[in-house]
Amino acid sequence: MFGNLFKKKRFVFEDEGMMVLNMDQAAGRYHEEAMKKLEIESYQGDEMVVNMGPQHPSTHGVLRLELVIDGEIVKKTTPHLGYLHRNFEKHAENTTYNEVIPYCDRLDYLASMNQDLGYALAVEKLMGLSELPEKVEYMRVLTCELNRIASHLVAVGTFGLDIGAFTPFLWAFRDREKILDLLEWLSGARMLYNYIWVGGLARDIPDGWLAKTREFVDYFEPKMVEFNKVLTTNHIFIERTADIGVLPPEMAVSYGCTGPVLRGSGVKWDLRKNEPFSYYDKLDFDIPVGKGEFGPLGSVLDRYLVRIAEINESVKIIRQALDAIEPFVEQDVQAAIPKKIRPAAGSEAYVRSETPRGELGFLVRSDGSDVPFRVKGRSPCFHNISVVDDISRGGMIADLVLIIGSLDIVLGCVDR
Amino acid sequence: MGNYFSDIYRAITTIAVGMGQTWKAMFRPATTLQYPTVRWQLPTNARGILFNNVDDCIGCNKCVRICPVQCIYMDTTKAHADEDLGKASTGNPIRQHVVRFDIDMFKCCYCDFCTTVCPTECLYMTDEYENGVFSRDNGLYHFSKYSPQEALALLKRDAEEAQVKAKAKEAALAAKNKGSKVPA
Repeated sequence: MFGNLFKKKRFVFEDEGMMVLNMDQAAGRYHEEAMKKLEIESYQGDEMVVNMGPQHPSTHGVLRLELVIDGEIVKKTTPHLGYLHRNFEKHAENTTYNEVIPYCDRLDYLASMNQDLGYALAVEKLMGLSELPEKVEYMRVLTCELNRIASHLVAVGTFGLDIGAFTPFLWAFRDREKILDLLEWLSGARMLYNYIWVGGLARDIPDGWLAKTREFVDYFEPKMVEFNKVLTTNHIFIERTADIGVLPPEMAVSYGCTGPVLRGSGVKWDLRKNEPFSYYDKLDFDIPVGKGEFGPLGSVLDRYLVRIAEINESVKIIRQALDAIEPFVEQDVQAAIPKKIRPAAGSEAYVRSETPRGELGFLVRSDGSDVPFRVKGRSPCFHNISVVDDISRGGMIADLVLIIGSLDIVLGCVDR
Repeated sequence: MGNYFSDIYRAITTIAVGMGQTWKAMFRPATTLQYPTVRWQLPTNARGILFNNVDDCIGCNKCVRICPVQCIYMDTTKAHADEDLGKASTGNPIRQHVVRFDIDMFKCCYCDFCTTVCPTECLYMTDEYENGVFSRDNGLYHFSKYSPQEALALLKRDAEEAQVKAKAKEAALAAKNKGSKVPA
């Protein structure tokens, strides 16, 4: 536990080969065990075990990384999770189906709408609800894409902040505020919306909300061009990020990475296209993938560029949804909400949906009562963080900060 | 060597482009507010501190049951036939004394479920969001219109009535049992 605080002093006895003794035997033994545990094949030079986090600002939450470092070089990274564990799955077994939604909000608090949608889709599948009013479906797409933009803005903004670019971070948050204002007007809350319910929406659209959203999109597109001029096209930024944290596509697939992390490695996989949910199949958009223009494919920069491209795709989707929703604005958003949610005993549904961070799955099992028997959440961030060891080996500690930023984890989603 | 100089050239030009953008941004109006003096106008449906207009509350207990975090505490006692508690503004007759209606705003998760189920719409969320307080007790909001003494008296009356009722039931049961035994 405290062994990493002591730098080892070594005495090498020639007749016993490489034997390591320590001034503080207890600390030394810990260190040795830690090394064994971390599968360090041979240790030479000055290896140290250092904790990064859980209060480190660049780990984007309460993530503790146990690093084995040799000077600045990272030899091994072990993420330690659980600091933000809030027992979502057990809570869900003790509340009714609808009351789980506020807890879903708090999983990935940067993209609450997408989490709500994932859970709502799972319960709707369990209930056999397939035909929802068009207004509901288009509003779900609209709010989810707005939230995707807000989430990606945090991702790219803090990514810039991690290497010292402060202006783009403030600009990203300025535009995110506008989105949060829109969603606050719609649902009443800024981050934890509880807006998408099973079979419908919590509230109707306020007057003028659609026009204001269109206004925002018109305002936002030039701002994104400015953002790219400041950060994305900056040569120093590109040179810094283009060849670190390389995640080959095979490794991304084998670790179960999804979302921009997978697409940054050049794999074209997006559930909005491959397994369309809600009304995504009626809308026209592209799936941006990493191309490796400036360095090896799957680098930190590729993941960043995928997010920037996805923001533009989301803007495209929002424009189409705003046009498509026009004929249906008179519909009642709560028409299809079931009076009682009591799915048949033993029925089970697993639905996956695409959140800004990747594939979110919810398994819901019913025992016939109004309380779910089991709810299991498959978090995209948990799978994405698992590659951090493989892609950070051999790099610098400063690169590790960037790698974590490019994986864009939310600890609420990792720990649940 | 050529690469070295081209890198420097591209770095300088791209930084110049970026600095041009920040130069432009300098002459734009600020997007920030001087918070304590200038305040944000929240939308009318913003979800802030809960408020219960207890004159309209019929004590139906729906909000207590739907709350995912159990932050609403309610005690009610039945009104007597000769007590007229009037009607709520939505027309629902009030048949119960709401002797206790407390909301623990420290526990509240601002999910808005309680206001959607409220039949008389007496429970709603205000746009008040600055609920920092100096003591933990101040986070518990009391809404009942009865003083603690009155509430206690009403609860006592209710308990006594329940006792009387239970005794009567027992007596009736005993009488029934006795009656059934006689023919046998």
